[in-house]
Amino acid sequence: MAITLTNELPAVAPVVGPDVTLTSLSEDVSSRVSMHGAPRWWWIGFVISFALLLVLIVQMAVLFIVGIGVWGVEIPVAWGLAIAEYVWWIALASGGTIVSALFFLTRSPWRSAVNRIAESMLLSAAPCAGLMPIMHLGRPGFFYWLFPYSSVMGVWPQVRSPLWWDFICLLCYILMSIMYYYAGILPDLATVRDLATSKAKKVLYGVLALGWRGSVAEWQNQRIVYAIMSAIMAPMVISVHSVVGLDFAAGLTPGWHDTQFPPYFFFGAVISGTAVIVMLTILVRWGYSLQNVLTEYHFNAMAKVMLVGSLMLAYAYVWEAFGPLYTSDVAERTEFFHRAFGFTAPLFWSEKFLTVVVPQLLWLPVVRRNQLLLFLISGGIIIGMWQERVVFTTASLEHNYMPSYWGYYFPTVWDWATLAGTIGLFLTLFFLFLRFAPIISLAEVREIVEEGKSK
Amino acid sequence: MNELFGIVAEFATPQAVRTAAEDLRRAGFRVFEAYTPYPVEGLDRIIHPAPKPVLPLVMFAAAVIGAGWGYWIQFWDEALNYPLNVGGRPFNSWPAFMVGTFEFMLLVTVAAGFFGMLATSGLPRLYHPIFEANAFARASSDRFVICVEAIDSRFDAAAVRALFKRLGADRIEEVPA
Repeated sequence: MAITLTNELPAVAPVVGPDVTLTSLSEDVSSRVSMHGAPRWWWIGFVISFALLLVLIVQMAVLFIVGIGVWGVEIPVAWGLAIAEYVWWIALASGGTIVSALFFLTRSPWRSAVNRIAESMLLSAAPCAGLMPIMHLGRPGFFYWLFPYSSVMGVWPQVRSPLWWDFICLLCYILMSIMYYYAGILPDLATVRDLATSKAKKVLYGVLALGWRGSVAEWQNQRIVYAIMSAIMAPMVISVHSVVGLDFAAGLTPGWHDTQFPPYFFFGAVISGTAVIVMLTILVRWGYSLQNVLTEYHFNAMAKVMLVGSLMLAYAYVWEAFGPLYTSDVAERTEFFHRAFGFTAPLFWSEKFLTVVVPQLLWLPVVRRNQLLLFLISGGIIIGMWQERVVFTTASLEHNYMPSYWGYYFPTVWDWATLAGTIGLFLTLFFLFLRFAPIISLAEVREIVEEGKSK
Repeated sequence: MNELFGIVAEFATPQAVRTAAEDLRRAGFRVFEAYTPYPVEGLDRIIHPAPKPVLPLVMFAAAVIGAGWGYWIQFWDEALNYPLNVGGRPFNSWPAFMVGTFEFMLLVTVAAGFFGMLATSGLPRLYHPIFEANAFARASSDRFVICVEAIDSRFDAAAVRALFKRLGADRIEEVPA
């Protein structure tokens, strides 16, 4: 029995619209890839995204020429927006894998139509995350020293450091995500190849599809590997985000040195990743007119995932306060009061409001079906999670053990340029996925269409 | 007679292609393959009744190799090649090596699964005789295609055609090799 995550049975609130057939599904989705010229909304979105990407390029040039002093990072606050945004981006990416892999294992029917959106999102967000630590290196050109290979220098990375674990996790995560994505999209690329009208597209997608034929033997192999991959990706993504939590937990700074960090980070990934997927699903549904394939059933289910995420996060917030109040460690308590009632208080409280209080609206079924409200709530969650990452990164460093060592952090224009630029990189990549790859997993939705027909 | 790859029939429903596969097996054919837009339930048990679980075993072996490789890199680095005394901690501090070991294990497993999937399916193979069949054009979107290959010992073009006609195929055609 599948865990449906919704109280409606698929028969009452259909997972796919009643007039979706195998023919209309394949043609609808693959025609978005094979059409000549993209629609106007795509061009508008792409040009804006690309303009933001240019901001990133300028920012990186300035950063690499002048040095990381152009950011607001200083002693004592040496980790600023860039590190907070690293955590933020990797959380968004992790959410994509959670939706795609975890809900494959539960056989949730709503996962089939949104998993490609989730995976495209994750492949667009992961490079943004990966750029942040590289930009943060004083000598970015030497980042490859982190690779554990037997170099002629005879110098090895320090593998006992969580920062190195982080590098390995992110590297493995991106490589594995590409393979997971490709194993799933292979049959759909074959559909685009077979339905393409122009010779160039036939050749391009013919090569990309690697000669996939859809024979029974191929399906057998694909299904078994995909299932095992999903079972691997689900714990993998938990390990990735837990290790990001260890970057902080292994530091002795008050406010960071906390055993709850790995699960706390993971809860944040669940809610913020799902929120991005909801926003992108609304965009895809509206832009490509896929109202029949991406139905209210999907929004309802994803809204419930966000609601669960916000409750888990609320639990973590309780412990975030309980630890410092219960401990006899004065520095811990001072840092917490600084975080909650001091310099970062506005960010601290608005973050709690956006990620825990507002999502409680999702208890109401009418809110879960209202796309405008869902879009706003999701946007609020993403902004709230950004604030949370910024608050715990900077507030802890601002109030370290020694009062003589206290300071404040103010981002500069280049910090904001980094944020805007990585959003540009993310959206540019996502718009390219939207244009050049089937954005709905055809093979999996077909099974749902046929199941519905045989009932 | 010019060389023949096989005879192809196109069906509109998954039930029809399943019935066709059952009838072909009952008639004694062994070398035939179905091409479907999604994995049709039960079809695999008719066409490839006893698959060997090669891929899970390959992935398991890869997991063992990956874990060993991941640990060895770190052990060789920290304990053999570049031992560094960090506050008197043991050079072979295995708990700190577990994250790297775990990630390398998963990476190698997924890579083995991905490339193993391609290898056992004979991919990439950009050309295949079945691509010449007109019926194949929609086998990846909404049609169900079955092909009896000429290398089957009981292959007889006329008999296969008759069988497909009786099963109500929408289209029957010969595929050149």
